[in-house]
Amino acid sequence: MNGSIRVPVDEALRYMRAAGAEGEIRRMAEETAETLESRVTPRWTWRTCRIERGREGIALPEAGLTLPGTLAEKMLAECDAAALLAVTLGAGFDRLEKEWETRDMARAAVMDACGSAWTEAACDAAEEEIRQRFQGKYLTDRFSPGYGDLPLSLQADFLRALDAGKRLGVTANQSFLLLPCKSVTAIIGLADIPQGAKIRGCACCGLRENCEYRKRGKTCGT
Amino acid sequence: MERKLPVLLDGAMGTMLQRSGMKPGTIPETLNITAPEMVAEVQRAYIRAGSRAIYANTFGANGLKLKDTGYTVKEIVSAGVRIAKECAAETGAMAGLDVGPLGVMVEPLGSLPFEEAVRLYREVMKAGADAGADLIAIETMSDLTETRAAVIAAKETTDLPVLVTMSFDSTGRTFTGCTPASMARTLEGLGADAVGVNCSLGPKEMIPIIREIRANTTLPVIAKPNAGLPDPVTGKYGVNAEEFAAAMQELAAAGAEIRGGCCGTDPTFIETLAKTVFPAAERPPVGGAVCSGPVCVRTDGIRVIGERINPTGKKRLQQALLEDDTDYLVEMAIRQADAGADLLDVNVGYPGVDEVTMLPKAVKAIQAAVDLPLQLDTTNPEALEAALRVYSGKAAVNSVNGKEESLRTVLPLVKKYGAAVVGLTLDENGIPDTAEKRFAIAEKILNRALAAGIPREDVWIDCLTLTVSAQQEQARETLKAVRMVTEKLGLRTVLGVSNISFGLPSRMTVTTAFLASALEAGLTMPIVNPNTKEIMDLIAARRVLTGEDRECRAYVERFAEESPENRPADGKTAPAEMTLGEAIRRGLRNEAGKLTVRALQTRKEMELVEQELIPALEQTGEKYEQGKVFLPQLLSAAQAAQAAFEEIRGSLLKKGEKGADRGTLIMATVQGDIHDIGKNIVITVLENYGYRVRDLGRDVPPETIVKETQEKGIRLVGLSALMTTTLPAMAETVRRLKMLDNPPQVMVGGAVVTEDYARSIGADYYAKDVRDAVKITSRVFNG
Repeated sequence: MNGSIRVPVDEALRYMRAAGAEGEIRRMAEETAETLESRVTPRWTWRTCRIERGREGIALPEAGLTLPGTLAEKMLAECDAAALLAVTLGAGFDRLEKEWETRDMARAAVMDACGSAWTEAACDAAEEEIRQRFQGKYLTDRFSPGYGDLPLSLQADFLRALDAGKRLGVTANQSFLLLPCKSVTAIIGLADIPQGAKIRGCACCGLRENCEYRKRGKTCGT
Repeated sequence: MERKLPVLLDGAMGTMLQRSGMKPGTIPETLNITAPEMVAEVQRAYIRAGSRAIYANTFGANGLKLKDTGYTVKEIVSAGVRIAKECAAETGAMAGLDVGPLGVMVEPLGSLPFEEAVRLYREVMKAGADAGADLIAIETMSDLTETRAAVIAAKETTDLPVLVTMSFDSTGRTFTGCTPASMARTLEGLGADAVGVNCSLGPKEMIPIIREIRANTTLPVIAKPNAGLPDPVTGKYGVNAEEFAAAMQELAAAGAEIRGGCCGTDPTFIETLAKTVFPAAERPPVGGAVCSGPVCVRTDGIRVIGERINPTGKKRLQQALLEDDTDYLVEMAIRQADAGADLLDVNVGYPGVDEVTMLPKAVKAIQAAVDLPLQLDTTNPEALEAALRVYSGKAAVNSVNGKEESLRTVLPLVKKYGAAVVGLTLDENGIPDTAEKRFAIAEKILNRALAAGIPREDVWIDCLTLTVSAQQEQARETLKAVRMVTEKLGLRTVLGVSNISFGLPSRMTVTTAFLASALEAGLTMPIVNPNTKEIMDLIAARRVLTGEDRECRAYVERFAEESPENRPADGKTAPAEMTLGEAIRRGLRNEAGKLTVRALQTRKEMELVEQELIPALEQTGEKYEQGKVFLPQLLSAAQAAQAAFEEIRGSLLKKGEKGADRGTLIMATVQGDIHDIGKNIVITVLENYGYRVRDLGRDVPPETIVKETQEKGIRLVGLSALMTTTLPAMAETVRRLKMLDNPPQVMVGGAVVTEDYARSIGADYYAKDVRDAVKITSRVFNG
């Protein structure tokens, strides 16, 4: 799938630690968003699979995946199926960012924040697509390899299960980093009873040690 | 040499194996050994359906994807090819070695070196050929660079026919931005036997792509579409066999002569195709072109070749090349692209520069950021081949000439890598002084190129511009030769134009007059400085007069943009009276440069650095710390300071002094890590404090960092890592650096790095952000 989702400029500003800023910095973000929207297309692909519970953790037999650890267990406790998801801005974004790193590093930094915010927005759009398809079901929070104790090393298996190489051109390197850079994989549980928010807040965030918002006694808002 | 190629291929392998009960998560190629009968059953079904070639179950059988299976490439490939051959033998169909992407990205998009990709593919090709494959099918490719690696590997290992298909999406490009035209041009050049599309789209969506490929190749065109897209919940594909066959008729009319199916198709699809009658498509003339992945430039009009990337007479570029600084080249490339160049000449030949490593390095760096096709300009055949190998697309080569030695060494390379070539009309006796003799050399070059298998439209002739103030009668001879080559040989012509006016006052007057005459004589590819307004204006006008600029649109647009109150390039305006410091604080690049030039008339270079640049940067830095300005604004200030620094550097270079050197450090993103914008941001700012930074890039192995540190006597190394999985590589790099006899100081940073972690791995400093990095660097170098 792909869609004409807009770059969420306010989110991008937040990523730049400039939440709510007006004036020049907002103008830069808006212009960059416009450039991105004309040159880059966010894409995603998803599939659903049954959940089984085994000794090694949560199993998704149709996807050939096992999710070890307590996070997956907790998140998917009440689910009988899950949707796997991969989202990317594609190699076009990486190229454009490289170009702007040479032209204007300030603009490249803005572009990077816009790209991150846009990737999240595309995840939201994909999630919405899933929600529409499963009306009557309740979706858990979205979570990804690398969150909590769900190992990042699952990336390659996630990509294989989604055929993300063929469908989206997304690959993982030897350290399980996704390429193109603005790519995300995620899993969303599908349940018959309402699912509370479990993954929000600083406790789940890998960046909590260094977070500038936290140091100032604030939160980033997610 | 036309080779016999099959017309009807097979359908999906993966879809069929899944239906036969392959366990999810299985590496499908391992079935060649663990369940050969399951694979054979699929292949026999396609043979019975009428396939004249079947692809062996070897799509992912490469050294990377098979790494953890316990099988070698040779085992899996020979087992797969053997199964296919046995099944094909029933009807005498062909058995193809199927070759897919490696699964990791090749430089510059990823970090797998090009030659490593070629090596991995060679292993596959050799195993396939040894096992007796009848053809090689390279498919589902997305990155043109990787596709080139596969085709080069095939050509260097076997002489089997090579069919190549790439996957395009609904935007009409591959995931990495390659156009159908670029794909066709590049792969035909490399010697593919058929090119086309597979996977990703259903047959209907493929029509415009097939049409574009057909318009850009003389080869047979392949279409192997999916049966539409799979449903994310049921996994079912949307198009049935009849709909598929009907759409394939349209694809045939658009030019697809070789047909089959990809994901979601099965033997019933092939059976239906076998019964369908397909129309034949017309073959329009293809014409000449060169390309990069994203841009294909046809040579059927006036095409501007940017001349700026050539160190002759350019001190700043010479210095950049000696310092291995490709960023400056990329900047020059971007500026010429913005000014309207169609192609960029790239020449890095300068005493002290190793062209064999520098030319491919420059090509990769430029292609990572700039879309235009490149003209590789070197007299060193070894450097030429190194650059042609990594060039992503169909390059132009500058140049071959009438000398036997040149013809013998250059033309085979041009042929092998499928480039276009500029032929200089000179030979062992130098540059002839008559048009007739230059024409004779042009003719000789053309004939030798044709004999080497290079198509006529890929031969461009340079009739050579001589300086009119020295050899006045020669200007007319050059123009006459251009006319003769154009009219009698019908070839494109190239001329380096600006040489004409050397040594004369008001050079531009003579240069533009000569350019106008040359264009009238038939010149199509002037090599000029596209950043010169007079030249580009003239070319815009010429395109109007020749009718190339339909309805004068580009011309009108060009001059509509031009108005006296035109904004400066950085889009910001400055009030009339402003200090240099203020210009920097406000991030006004143009203004900062201009004010520096003015200030240099009365003040010393280093005085400006110490009293204006650094304090302005410091003030911005403090505001950033206080949250009053944000990172992009800090960077804008740094870049304005850079514009000032460039002027200061230029001024020092003119006096023969070294630049403002406050110390040299190394920066690198550690092995395994590919997110490097944070590191690049730090570099931008540090450079504008006057530090020299050797940027080793991303995904850098510890040994490279250690070696550079040792060789260059570096005192400070900065390392970045973004993910927890790459922190061990950071620790290892620090450990090795600290084992050196004279260990450097090390600062580390990156999203997941903490003060405690930095200390625990033995780093001297933790830089939480770019400001911190500046403070640490200043402490290390200035005490």
